Amino acid sequence: MTENSKWFDLLSRFLMPMAAFLNNSRYLQTLRDAFMLAFPITMFGSLIVVVANLPFLDKFMSPGVLDAFKTSLGNAPSATMGIMSLFVVFGIGYYLSKSYEVEAVFGGVIALVSFLLLTPFFVSVENVADPVGNVIPLDRLGAKGMFLAMITGFLAGEIYRFIVQKNWTIKMPAGVPTAVAKSFSALVPALLTLTVFLGINIAVTSLLDTNLHDLIFNLVQKPLVNLGNGLFPTLIAIFFVQLFWFFGLHGQVIVNSVMDPIWNTLSLENLNAYTSNGEIPNIISKQFIEIYTVGIGGSGSTLAVVVAILLFMRSKQMKQIGKLSIGPGIFNVNEPMIFGLPIVMNPLIMIPWIVAPLITVTVTYFAMSTGIVPPPTGVAVPWTVPMFISGMMATNSLAGGLLQLVNFAIIMAVWFPFLVFIDRLNLKKEREEANTTQEKNQQIG
Amino acid sequence: MRKIMLACSSGMSTSILVSKMQEHAKGLGEEAKIWAVGQDQAMKEMSGADVILIGPQMRFLLSKFQQATDKPVEVIDMMAYGMADGKAAYEQAVKLMG
Repeated sequence: MTENSKWFDLLSRFLMPMAAFLNNSRYLQTLRDAFMLAFPITMFGSLIVVVANLPFLDKFMSPGVLDAFKTSLGNAPSATMGIMSLFVVFGIGYYLSKSYEVEAVFGGVIALVSFLLLTPFFVSVENVADPVGNVIPLDRLGAKGMFLAMITGFLAGEIYRFIVQKNWTIKMPAGVPTAVAKSFSALVPALLTLTVFLGINIAVTSLLDTNLHDLIFNLVQKPLVNLGNGLFPTLIAIFFVQLFWFFGLHGQVIVNSVMDPIWNTLSLENLNAYTSNGEIPNIISKQFIEIYTVGIGGSGSTLAVVVAILLFMRSKQMKQIGKLSIGPGIFNVNEPMIFGLPIVMNPLIMIPWIVAPLITVTVTYFAMSTGIVPPPTGVAVPWTVPMFISGMMATNSLAGGLLQLVNFAIIMAVWFPFLVFIDRLNLKKEREEANTTQEKNQQIG
Repeated sequence: MRKIMLACSSGMSTSILVSKMQEHAKGLGEEAKIWAVGQDQAMKEMSGADVILIGPQMRFLLSKFQQATDKPVEVIDMMAYGMADGKAAYEQAVKLMG
């Protein structure tokens, strides 16, 4: 036991600062806020995509009417998820400036314009010799431009706040209205920051004969996102989620702060492809993680564990925690289980806690790669939606919900022998306690 | 009136404890405002609280919160959190207020 606790202590000492760093880092926090800013907007787009793709529409609409119906709704996803990179770059510029306590809204707008300065305002069309000018290619503002948007947002935000903090600004005499003074104080930082990005664009387009969109997409985004779409990296991410939670730290929040840029980009690619041609290119995405791990009772998919406890376990301690956990568990909140059972630092539970979700993620991945179950479409489903419903909503199919039930059964099977063992230990302890109180009562009597 | 703010990642799991703490305070006949928030909201609402309690799964927020405020901040005991023990958590808050 001392060996064990030493080992726990060591890991805990290593994981705690890592968690603090990842959660409290200015940049990762800014990124989280920027994605949160885009959330209500993508939610709107998602709802419209769900409506446009309801499975029974073709039953009472002729193909012509259905097409017209879909086209009429088409602007909603294009104006939201379709140009998601714009919200992200603005959000990063805004929240980063805010964290430095400089005028935030200018930081946001300057980041947005910096991003547009790097964007080619023409598009090449098939069978047309010259590119079409005077347009902003929509795809560059969506999933394709996501990493450039993030990089630009941070870079522009940093340059802007650096200049503001250096006080290289035009100061207005006292008595000038605040709004006027503010717009002047942003003038020098805006001019300098935008000049930098214009210069970068000129350098890249003239010297390298390409643009930063293609450069970042091919050199950074594509390799990272392809890696994130694999089974093995996903298993590593899930392993860390479970490991952090095992030490009582919020694994999902910590791992998300690293993985969200990749998972969200994968989702966005899915949704854009799904709305344009009905196909889904990526198996792994934000929704894969949320619906097929968290969405089955919380991190570690513990709803099956709660049900197993309520149905089959007999010790008072387990029954009590089961009753407490079932309500929140249906909505994928499982802190009562994690701290009450407890799962935290419980060597008896470490194996099913870590192994079971690795198995279900693998099963889910192969169910989708073989085409038995369609991958999530990228439609945003809040993580608190109960299982089965969330699976159907995320994949727009019954199979998606059924797959969650399969995962539920797997989790229960993996946990069962461990639960029985703990239940017996508890029962023995409870019986001994009852006996000692009885003896005491007899002695007194 | 005692003002107790609980914080976790999104304010979901701490809200379970909030209702139990409210029940306990009511049982004692004490007036208390107890509420749960996510970590970002917590930074904004800190000034309106007498004491701040953090869910143990977000205990890495402790130093960040302590830097941001003079109010007492503490991590909720893990077992009390797991069992949604409103009495223990309420007593922890009251003790912190001195």
